[in-house]
Amino acid sequence: MNSFLALIPRFADAIVVTLEVSVLAAVVGASGGFMLNALRLTFPKWLSAPYRVYVWLVRGTPYLSQLVIVYFGLPVIGITMTAVQATIVSLAIYSAAYFAEIFRAGWASIPRGHMEAARAFGISRWSVFRSIELPQAVAFAVPLLANQTILVIKESAVASIITVPELTMTASDIVSSTYTYIGPYAMLIICYWLLTQCVAVAFKWASAFIALSRKPS
Amino acid sequence: MNPPDLLARCASYLPQLLDGAITTLWLSAIAVACGFFAGIFIYMMSASESRTLSTAARVYVSVFRGTPVLAQLLVFYYVPSGLGWAIPGVVAAAIGLSMNTAAYQSQILGTGFTAIPRGQIEAAQTFNLTRRQTLWHVEIPQVVALTLPALVSEMIDIVKASAVVSVIAVTDLMRVGQQLSSFSYRPLEVYTLAACFYLVITSMLSLAGRGIERRMARRA
Repeated sequence: MNSFLALIPRFADAIVVTLEVSVLAAVVGASGGFMLNALRLTFPKWLSAPYRVYVWLVRGTPYLSQLVIVYFGLPVIGITMTAVQATIVSLAIYSAAYFAEIFRAGWASIPRGHMEAARAFGISRWSVFRSIELPQAVAFAVPLLANQTILVIKESAVASIITVPELTMTASDIVSSTYTYIGPYAMLIICYWLLTQCVAVAFKWASAFIALSRKPS
Repeated sequence: MNPPDLLARCASYLPQLLDGAITTLWLSAIAVACGFFAGIFIYMMSASESRTLSTAARVYVSVFRGTPVLAQLLVFYYVPSGLGWAIPGVVAAAIGLSMNTAAYQSQILGTGFTAIPRGQIEAAQTFNLTRRQTLWHVEIPQVVALTLPALVSEMIDIVKASAVVSVIAVTDLMRVGQQLSSFSYRPLEVYTLAACFYLVITSMLSLAGRGIERRMARRA
Protein backbone atom coordinates (compact mmCIF):
# COMPACT_ATOMS: atom_id res chain seq x y z
CA MET A 1 0.00 0.00 0.00
CA ASN A 2 2.84 2.35 0.89
CA SER A 3 4.53 1.77 -2.44
CA PHE A 4 1.20 2.55 -4.08
CA LEU A 5 0.89 5.85 -2.22
CA ALA A 6 4.50 6.64 -3.06
CA LEU A 7 3.42 6.83 -6.71
CA ILE A 8 1.21 9.85 -6.04
CA PRO A 9 3.80 12.65 -6.47
CA ARG A 10 4.90 11.48 -9.93
CA PHE A 11 1.33 10.96 -11.03
CA ALA A 12 0.40 14.39 -9.70
CA ASP A 13 3.07 15.91 -11.96
CA ALA A 14 1.83 13.82 -14.88
CA ILE A 15 -1.79 14.81 -14.34
CA VAL A 16 -0.73 18.43 -14.67
CA VAL A 17 0.90 17.68 -18.05
CA THR A 18 -2.19 15.79 -19.26
CA LEU A 19 -4.40 18.68 -18.14
CA GLU A 20 -2.19 21.34 -19.70
CA VAL A 21 -2.02 19.58 -23.05
CA SER A 22 -5.68 18.63 -23.25
CA VAL A 23 -7.18 21.81 -21.83
CA LEU A 24 -5.06 23.96 -24.13
CA ALA A 25 -5.98 21.78 -27.11
CA ALA A 26 -9.67 21.76 -26.14
CA VAL A 27 -9.77 25.55 -25.73
CA VAL A 28 -8.03 26.14 -29.07
CA GLY A 29 -10.13 23.42 -30.70
CA ALA A 30 -13.40 24.80 -29.31
CA SER A 31 -12.55 28.37 -30.37
CA GLY A 32 -11.44 27.09 -33.77
CA GLY A 33 -14.59 25.03 -34.14
CA PHE A 34 -16.70 28.01 -33.12
CA MET A 35 -15.00 30.26 -35.68
CA LEU A 36 -15.27 27.59 -38.34
CA ASN A 37 -19.00 27.31 -37.73
CA ALA A 38 -19.40 31.10 -37.72
CA LEU A 39 -17.52 31.33 -41.04
CA ARG A 40 -19.59 28.52 -42.49
CA LEU A 41 -22.76 30.38 -41.50
CA THR A 42 -21.48 33.64 -42.97
CA PHE A 43 -20.18 32.25 -46.27
CA PRO A 44 -22.32 29.15 -46.85
CA LYS A 45 -21.61 29.15 -50.59
CA TRP A 46 -17.82 29.24 -50.43
CA LEU A 47 -17.07 27.31 -47.30
CA SER A 48 -19.52 24.45 -47.08
CA ALA A 49 -17.48 22.16 -49.39
CA PRO A 50 -14.03 22.75 -47.79
CA TYR A 51 -15.66 22.49 -44.35
CA ARG A 52 -17.20 19.13 -45.20
CA VAL A 53 -13.90 17.82 -46.55
CA TYR A 54 -12.05 18.91 -43.40
CA VAL A 55 -14.60 17.27 -41.10
CA TRP A 56 -14.55 14.12 -43.24
CA LEU A 57 -10.75 13.86 -43.15
CA VAL A 58 -10.44 14.48 -39.40
CA ARG A 59 -13.34 12.29 -38.32
CA GLY A 60 -12.51 9.50 -40.75
CA THR A 61 -8.99 8.84 -39.47
CA PRO A 62 -7.64 7.84 -36.03
CA TYR A 63 -6.16 10.62 -33.91
CA LEU A 64 -2.93 8.62 -33.68
CA SER A 65 -2.44 8.80 -37.43
CA GLN A 66 -2.99 12.56 -37.38
CA LEU A 67 -0.47 12.89 -34.55
CA VAL A 68 2.25 10.93 -36.35
CA ILE A 69 1.67 12.89 -39.57
CA VAL A 70 2.14 16.15 -37.65
CA TYR A 71 5.07 14.96 -35.51
CA PHE A 72 7.00 12.66 -37.88
CA GLY A 73 5.62 13.73 -41.27
CA LEU A 74 5.64 17.53 -41.26
CA PRO A 75 9.41 17.84 -40.56
CA VAL A 76 9.85 16.42 -44.09
CA ILE A 77 8.45 19.68 -45.46
CA GLY A 78 10.31 21.79 -42.92
CA ILE A 79 7.76 22.15 -40.10
CA THR A 80 9.41 20.85 -36.94
CA MET A 81 7.74 20.82 -33.54
CA THR A 82 8.51 19.44 -30.09
CA ALA A 83 6.43 16.49 -28.95
CA VAL A 84 4.28 18.70 -26.70
CA GLN A 85 3.72 21.28 -29.45
CA ALA A 86 2.85 18.59 -31.99
CA THR A 87 0.36 17.08 -29.54
CA ILE A 88 -1.37 20.36 -28.82
CA VAL A 89 -1.48 21.38 -32.50
CA SER A 90 -2.77 18.01 -33.74
CA LEU A 91 -5.22 17.63 -30.88
CA ALA A 92 -6.57 21.12 -31.56
CA ILE A 93 -6.97 20.43 -35.31
CA TYR A 94 -8.60 17.12 -34.48
CA SER A 95 -11.02 18.45 -31.88
CA ALA A 96 -11.91 21.59 -33.87
CA ALA A 97 -13.72 19.40 -36.41
CA TYR A 98 -15.82 17.79 -33.67
CA PHE A 99 -16.42 21.10 -31.89
CA ALA A 100 -17.48 22.73 -35.18
CA GLU A 101 -20.03 19.96 -35.69
CA ILE A 102 -21.31 20.48 -32.14
CA PHE A 103 -21.82 24.19 -32.76
CA ARG A 104 -23.45 23.37 -36.08
CA ALA A 105 -25.93 21.16 -34.21
CA GLY A 106 -26.42 23.99 -31.69
CA TRP A 107 -27.33 26.43 -34.43
CA ALA A 108 -29.52 23.88 -36.18
CA SER A 109 -31.50 23.51 -32.93
CA ILE A 110 -32.71 27.14 -33.07
CA PRO A 111 -36.20 27.46 -34.59
CA ARG A 112 -36.17 29.40 -37.89
CA GLY A 113 -38.93 31.66 -36.60
CA HIS A 114 -36.56 33.40 -34.15
CA MET A 115 -34.42 34.66 -37.01
CA GLU A 116 -37.45 35.77 -39.01
CA ALA A 117 -39.04 37.53 -36.02
CA ALA A 118 -35.77 39.33 -35.25
CA ARG A 119 -35.49 40.47 -38.85
CA ALA A 120 -39.10 41.71 -38.77
CA PHE A 121 -38.19 43.83 -35.74
CA GLY A 122 -35.22 45.25 -37.63
CA ILE A 123 -32.60 43.84 -35.25
CA SER A 124 -29.12 43.84 -36.78
CA ARG A 125 -27.46 40.58 -37.85
CA TRP A 126 -24.77 40.96 -35.17
CA SER A 127 -27.31 41.51 -32.39
CA VAL A 128 -29.27 38.49 -33.55
CA PHE A 129 -26.09 36.42 -33.42
CA ARG A 130 -25.02 37.67 -30.00
CA SER A 131 -28.30 37.95 -28.12
CA ILE A 132 -30.61 35.44 -29.76
CA GLU A 133 -28.63 32.67 -31.42
CA LEU A 134 -25.52 32.41 -29.23
CA PRO A 135 -27.24 31.87 -25.84
CA GLN A 136 -29.56 29.21 -27.25
CA ALA A 137 -26.88 27.41 -29.24
CA VAL A 138 -24.45 27.34 -26.31
CA ALA A 139 -27.09 26.14 -23.85
CA PHE A 140 -27.91 23.35 -26.30
CA ALA A 141 -24.26 22.48 -26.82
CA VAL A 142 -22.99 22.32 -23.21
CA PRO A 143 -23.51 18.56 -22.66
CA LEU A 144 -21.93 17.84 -26.05
CA LEU A 145 -19.01 20.14 -25.25
CA ALA A 146 -18.49 18.24 -21.99
CA ASN A 147 -18.44 14.97 -23.88
CA GLN A 148 -15.95 16.29 -26.42
CA THR A 149 -13.63 17.73 -23.74
CA ILE A 150 -13.56 14.31 -22.08
CA LEU A 151 -12.74 12.76 -25.46
CA VAL A 152 -9.83 15.17 -25.85
CA ILE A 153 -8.46 14.20 -22.42
CA LYS A 154 -8.74 10.54 -23.35
CA GLU A 155 -7.12 11.01 -26.76
CA SER A 156 -4.21 12.85 -25.13
CA ALA A 157 -3.07 9.46 -23.80
CA VAL A 158 -1.89 8.71 -27.33
CA ALA A 159 0.75 11.44 -26.92
CA SER A 160 2.66 8.99 -24.70
CA ILE A 161 3.65 7.25 -27.96
CA ILE A 162 5.69 10.30 -28.96
CA THR A 163 7.10 10.56 -25.38
CA VAL A 164 5.09 13.45 -23.95
CA PRO A 165 5.52 12.97 -20.17
CA GLU A 166 1.78 12.79 -19.44
CA LEU A 167 -0.10 10.18 -17.39
CA THR A 168 0.22 7.16 -19.67
CA MET A 169 3.90 7.79 -20.40
CA THR A 170 4.61 8.18 -16.66
CA ALA A 171 2.85 4.91 -15.83
CA SER A 172 4.80 3.07 -18.53
CA ASP A 173 8.05 4.63 -17.29
CA ILE A 174 7.44 3.49 -13.72
CA VAL A 175 6.48 0.01 -14.95
CA SER A 176 9.64 -0.40 -16.98
CA SER A 177 11.95 0.90 -14.23
CA THR A 178 10.42 -0.95 -11.26
CA TYR A 179 8.91 -4.06 -12.90
CA THR A 180 5.76 -3.58 -10.85
CA TYR A 181 2.68 -3.63 -13.02
CA ILE A 182 -0.47 -3.52 -10.98
CA GLY A 183 0.26 -0.43 -8.88
CA PRO A 184 1.18 2.02 -11.65
CA TYR A 185 -1.54 0.85 -14.02
CA ALA A 186 -4.21 0.89 -11.30
CA MET A 187 -3.09 4.43 -10.48
CA LEU A 188 -3.26 5.33 -14.17
CA ILE A 189 -6.85 4.16 -14.50
CA ILE A 190 -7.84 5.93 -11.26
CA CYS A 191 -6.24 9.21 -12.38
CA TYR A 192 -8.00 9.25 -15.77
CA TRP A 193 -11.29 8.23 -14.24
CA LEU A 194 -11.12 11.00 -11.61
CA LEU A 195 -10.10 13.52 -14.23
CA THR A 196 -12.98 12.71 -16.59
CA GLN A 197 -15.49 12.58 -13.71
CA CYS A 198 -14.35 16.03 -12.52
CA VAL A 199 -14.78 17.46 -16.01
CA ALA A 200 -18.24 15.90 -16.28
CA VAL A 201 -19.27 17.42 -12.92
CA ALA A 202 -17.81 20.83 -13.82
CA PHE A 203 -19.82 20.92 -17.05
CA LYS A 204 -22.95 19.83 -15.19
CA TRP A 205 -22.53 22.83 -12.89
CA ALA A 206 -21.95 25.09 -15.88
CA SER A 207 -25.08 23.73 -17.50
CA ALA A 208 -27.15 24.32 -14.34
CA PHE A 209 -25.72 27.82 -14.04
CA ILE A 210 -26.62 28.64 -17.65
CA ALA A 211 -30.14 27.23 -17.21
CA LEU A 212 -30.57 29.36 -14.08
CA SER A 213 -29.35 32.56 -15.67
CA ARG A 214 -31.57 32.05 -18.72
CA LYS A 215 -34.75 31.65 -16.70
CA PRO A 216 -37.07 34.57 -17.53
CA SER A 217 -37.49 36.65 -14.37
CA MET B 1 11.05 14.29 -55.69
CA ASN B 2 9.21 13.81 -58.97
CA PRO B 3 5.66 12.47 -59.14
CA PRO B 4 6.29 9.11 -60.92
CA ASP B 5 8.81 8.15 -58.20
CA LEU B 6 6.34 9.01 -55.48
CA LEU B 7 3.62 6.94 -57.16
CA ALA B 8 5.96 3.99 -57.60
CA ARG B 9 6.99 4.13 -53.96
CA CYS B 10 3.41 4.40 -52.76
CA ALA B 11 2.51 1.38 -54.89
CA SER B 12 5.34 -0.53 -53.25
CA TYR B 13 3.91 0.20 -49.79
CA LEU B 14 0.44 -1.03 -50.73
CA PRO B 15 0.76 -4.82 -50.17
CA GLN B 16 2.05 -4.43 -46.62
CA LEU B 17 -0.46 -1.73 -45.75
CA LEU B 18 -3.20 -3.98 -47.10
CA ASP B 19 -2.03 -6.77 -44.76
CA GLY B 20 -2.17 -4.31 -41.88
CA ALA B 21 -5.62 -3.13 -42.93
CA ILE B 22 -6.88 -6.71 -42.90
CA THR B 23 -5.60 -7.15 -39.33
CA THR B 24 -7.28 -3.89 -38.34
CA LEU B 25 -10.52 -5.05 -39.95
CA TRP B 26 -10.78 -8.47 -38.38
CA LEU B 27 -9.66 -7.21 -34.99
CA SER B 28 -12.37 -4.52 -35.11
CA ALA B 29 -14.94 -7.06 -36.33
CA ILE B 30 -14.18 -9.42 -33.44
CA ALA B 31 -14.32 -6.55 -30.95
CA VAL B 32 -17.65 -5.24 -32.28
CA ALA B 33 -19.23 -8.73 -32.35
CA CYS B 34 -18.03 -9.75 -28.86
CA GLY B 35 -18.84 -6.27 -27.58
CA PHE B 36 -22.38 -6.62 -28.88
CA PHE B 37 -23.14 -9.73 -26.82
CA ALA B 38 -21.26 -8.43 -23.81
CA GLY B 39 -23.11 -5.14 -24.23
CA ILE B 40 -26.49 -6.91 -24.08
CA PHE B 41 -25.32 -8.74 -20.97
CA ILE B 42 -24.19 -5.50 -19.29
CA TYR B 43 -27.46 -3.81 -20.17
CA MET B 44 -29.34 -6.77 -18.63
CA MET B 45 -27.26 -6.39 -15.50
CA SER B 46 -27.92 -2.65 -15.27
CA ALA B 47 -31.66 -3.19 -15.77
CA SER B 48 -31.90 -6.05 -13.30
CA GLU B 49 -33.61 -5.68 -9.94
CA SER B 50 -30.52 -6.72 -8.03
CA ARG B 51 -28.76 -3.68 -6.59
CA THR B 52 -25.36 -5.40 -6.74
CA LEU B 53 -25.67 -6.28 -10.42
CA SER B 54 -26.87 -2.87 -11.51
CA THR B 55 -24.16 -1.10 -9.53
CA ALA B 56 -21.51 -3.42 -10.99
CA ALA B 57 -22.78 -2.61 -14.50
CA ARG B 58 -22.71 1.13 -13.76
CA VAL B 59 -19.15 0.97 -12.44
CA TYR B 60 -18.06 -1.05 -15.48
CA VAL B 61 -19.53 1.43 -17.94
CA SER B 62 -18.18 4.42 -16.04
CA VAL B 63 -14.62 3.06 -15.86
CA PHE B 64 -14.47 1.99 -19.51
CA ARG B 65 -15.98 5.23 -20.77
CA GLY B 66 -14.00 7.41 -18.39
CA THR B 67 -10.51 6.16 -19.28
CA PRO B 68 -8.52 6.05 -22.55
CA VAL B 69 -8.53 2.90 -24.69
CA LEU B 70 -4.74 3.02 -24.68
CA ALA B 71 -4.60 2.81 -20.87
CA GLN B 72 -7.07 -0.09 -20.96
CA LEU B 73 -4.99 -1.97 -23.54
CA LEU B 74 -1.81 -1.49 -21.51
CA VAL B 75 -3.58 -2.97 -18.49
CA PHE B 76 -4.83 -5.99 -20.47
CA TYR B 77 -1.42 -6.59 -22.01
CA TYR B 78 1.05 -5.91 -19.21
CA VAL B 79 -0.83 -6.81 -16.03
CA PRO B 80 -1.29 -10.52 -16.95
CA SER B 81 2.35 -10.76 -18.04
CA GLY B 82 3.36 -9.10 -14.76
CA LEU B 83 1.47 -11.84 -12.94
CA GLY B 84 3.44 -14.44 -14.90
CA TRP B 85 0.66 -15.22 -17.33
CA ALA B 86 1.80 -13.56 -20.54
CA ILE B 87 -0.76 -13.32 -23.34
CA PRO B 88 -0.06 -12.38 -26.97
CA GLY B 89 -0.69 -8.77 -27.98
CA VAL B 90 -3.47 -9.74 -30.38
CA VAL B 91 -5.40 -11.50 -27.62
CA ALA B 92 -4.98 -8.57 -25.24
CA ALA B 93 -6.07 -6.23 -28.04
CA ALA B 94 -9.17 -8.29 -28.84
CA ILE B 95 -10.16 -8.51 -25.17
CA GLY B 96 -9.46 -4.83 -24.48
CA LEU B 97 -11.30 -3.50 -27.51
CA SER B 98 -14.25 -5.86 -26.92
CA MET B 99 -14.62 -4.82 -23.31
CA ASN B 100 -14.31 -1.16 -24.27
CA THR B 101 -16.96 -1.27 -26.98
CA ALA B 102 -19.18 -3.42 -24.72
CA ALA B 103 -19.50 -0.44 -22.38
CA TYR B 104 -20.52 1.88 -25.22
CA GLN B 105 -22.77 -0.68 -26.91
CA SER B 106 -24.59 -1.42 -23.65
CA GLN B 107 -25.57 2.25 -23.55
CA ILE B 108 -26.60 2.32 -27.22
CA LEU B 109 -28.59 -0.91 -26.94
CA GLY B 110 -30.15 0.34 -23.70
CA THR B 111 -31.87 3.18 -25.57
CA GLY B 112 -33.27 0.54 -27.96
CA PHE B 113 -34.51 -1.73 -25.18
CA THR B 114 -36.33 1.08 -23.40
CA ALA B 115 -38.02 2.10 -26.67
CA ILE B 116 -39.83 -1.25 -27.03
CA PRO B 117 -43.42 -1.00 -25.83
CA ARG B 118 -44.03 -3.01 -22.65
CA GLY B 119 -47.11 -4.58 -24.23
CA GLN B 120 -45.00 -6.62 -26.63
CA ILE B 121 -43.16 -8.32 -23.79
CA GLU B 122 -46.44 -8.97 -21.98
CA ALA B 123 -47.89 -10.38 -25.21
CA ALA B 124 -44.86 -12.67 -25.57
CA GLN B 125 -45.40 -13.90 -22.01
CA THR B 126 -49.04 -14.56 -22.75
CA PHE B 127 -47.97 -16.72 -25.68
CA ASN B 128 -45.78 -18.68 -23.28
CA LEU B 129 -42.48 -17.54 -24.75
CA THR B 130 -39.65 -18.01 -22.27
CA ARG B 131 -37.67 -14.99 -21.11
CA ARG B 132 -34.83 -16.03 -23.43
CA GLN B 133 -37.10 -16.50 -26.44
CA THR B 134 -38.64 -13.10 -25.82
CA LEU B 135 -35.18 -11.57 -25.68
CA TRP B 136 -33.85 -13.15 -28.89
CA HIS B 137 -36.96 -13.24 -31.03
CA VAL B 138 -38.93 -10.19 -29.90
CA GLU B 139 -36.61 -7.65 -28.33
CA ILE B 140 -33.17 -7.94 -29.94
CA PRO B 141 -34.29 -7.78 -33.61
CA GLN B 142 -36.10 -4.53 -32.87
CA VAL B 143 -33.31 -3.14 -30.69
CA VAL B 144 -30.82 -3.72 -33.50
CA ALA B 145 -33.09 -2.11 -36.07
CA LEU B 146 -33.70 0.90 -33.83
CA THR B 147 -30.07 1.47 -32.88
CA LEU B 148 -28.36 0.50 -36.13
CA PRO B 149 -27.18 4.03 -37.01
CA ALA B 150 -25.57 4.42 -33.57
CA LEU B 151 -24.07 0.92 -33.81
CA VAL B 152 -22.49 1.75 -37.17
CA SER B 153 -20.93 4.89 -35.74
CA GLU B 154 -19.62 2.80 -32.84
CA MET B 155 -18.04 0.43 -35.40
CA ILE B 156 -16.30 3.41 -36.98
CA ASP B 157 -15.08 4.51 -33.55
CA ILE B 158 -13.67 1.04 -32.89
CA VAL B 159 -11.80 0.95 -36.22
CA LYS B 160 -10.22 4.29 -35.26
CA ALA B 161 -9.59 3.28 -31.63
CA SER B 162 -7.90 0.08 -32.84
CA ALA B 163 -4.99 2.17 -34.15
CA VAL B 164 -3.49 2.22 -30.64
CA VAL B 165 -3.09 -1.59 -30.58
CA SER B 166 0.12 -0.89 -32.51
CA VAL B 167 1.59 -0.09 -29.08
CA ILE B 168 1.13 -3.64 -27.78
CA ALA B 169 2.91 -5.29 -30.70
CA VAL B 170 -0.04 -6.01 -32.98
CA THR B 171 0.87 -5.49 -36.65
CA ASP B 172 -2.23 -3.57 -37.58
CA LEU B 173 -2.44 -0.81 -40.19
CA MET B 174 -0.80 1.77 -37.92
CA ARG B 175 2.02 -0.58 -36.93
CA VAL B 176 2.76 -1.40 -40.58
CA GLY B 177 2.90 2.34 -41.21
CA GLN B 178 5.46 2.73 -38.42
CA GLN B 179 7.55 -0.16 -39.78
CA LEU B 180 7.47 1.16 -43.35
CA SER B 181 8.34 4.64 -42.15
CA SER B 182 11.39 3.41 -40.23
CA PHE B 183 12.59 1.43 -43.29
CA SER B 184 11.97 4.09 -45.89
CA TYR B 185 12.69 7.25 -43.87
CA ARG B 186 9.70 8.80 -45.60
CA PRO B 187 7.22 9.26 -42.75
CA LEU B 188 5.04 11.87 -44.45
CA GLU B 189 3.99 9.75 -47.43
CA VAL B 190 3.76 6.48 -45.49
CA TYR B 191 1.63 7.88 -42.68
CA THR B 192 -0.56 9.80 -45.11
CA LEU B 193 -1.14 6.63 -47.10
CA ALA B 194 -1.99 4.72 -43.91
CA ALA B 195 -4.45 7.48 -42.98
CA CYS B 196 -6.03 7.08 -46.46
CA PHE B 197 -6.61 3.40 -45.72
CA TYR B 198 -8.41 4.32 -42.51
CA LEU B 199 -10.40 6.92 -44.40
CA VAL B 200 -11.52 4.34 -46.96
CA ILE B 201 -12.60 1.89 -44.23
CA THR B 202 -14.52 4.45 -42.18
CA SER B 203 -16.12 6.04 -45.26
CA MET B 204 -17.34 2.68 -46.51
CA LEU B 205 -18.80 1.90 -43.10
CA SER B 206 -20.57 5.24 -42.92
CA LEU B 207 -21.91 4.86 -46.49
CA ALA B 208 -23.19 1.38 -45.61
CA GLY B 209 -24.78 2.82 -42.47
CA ARG B 210 -26.51 5.53 -44.44
CA GLY B 211 -27.72 3.00 -47.02
CA ILE B 212 -29.22 0.79 -44.32
CA GLU B 213 -30.87 3.80 -42.70
CA ARG B 214 -32.44 4.84 -46.00
CA ARG B 215 -33.73 1.31 -46.62
CA MET B 216 -35.22 1.19 -43.14
CA ALA B 217 -36.86 4.57 -43.59
CA ARG B 218 -38.49 3.33 -46.79
CA ARG B 219 -39.77 0.18 -45.13
CA ALA B 220 -41.21 2.09 -42.18
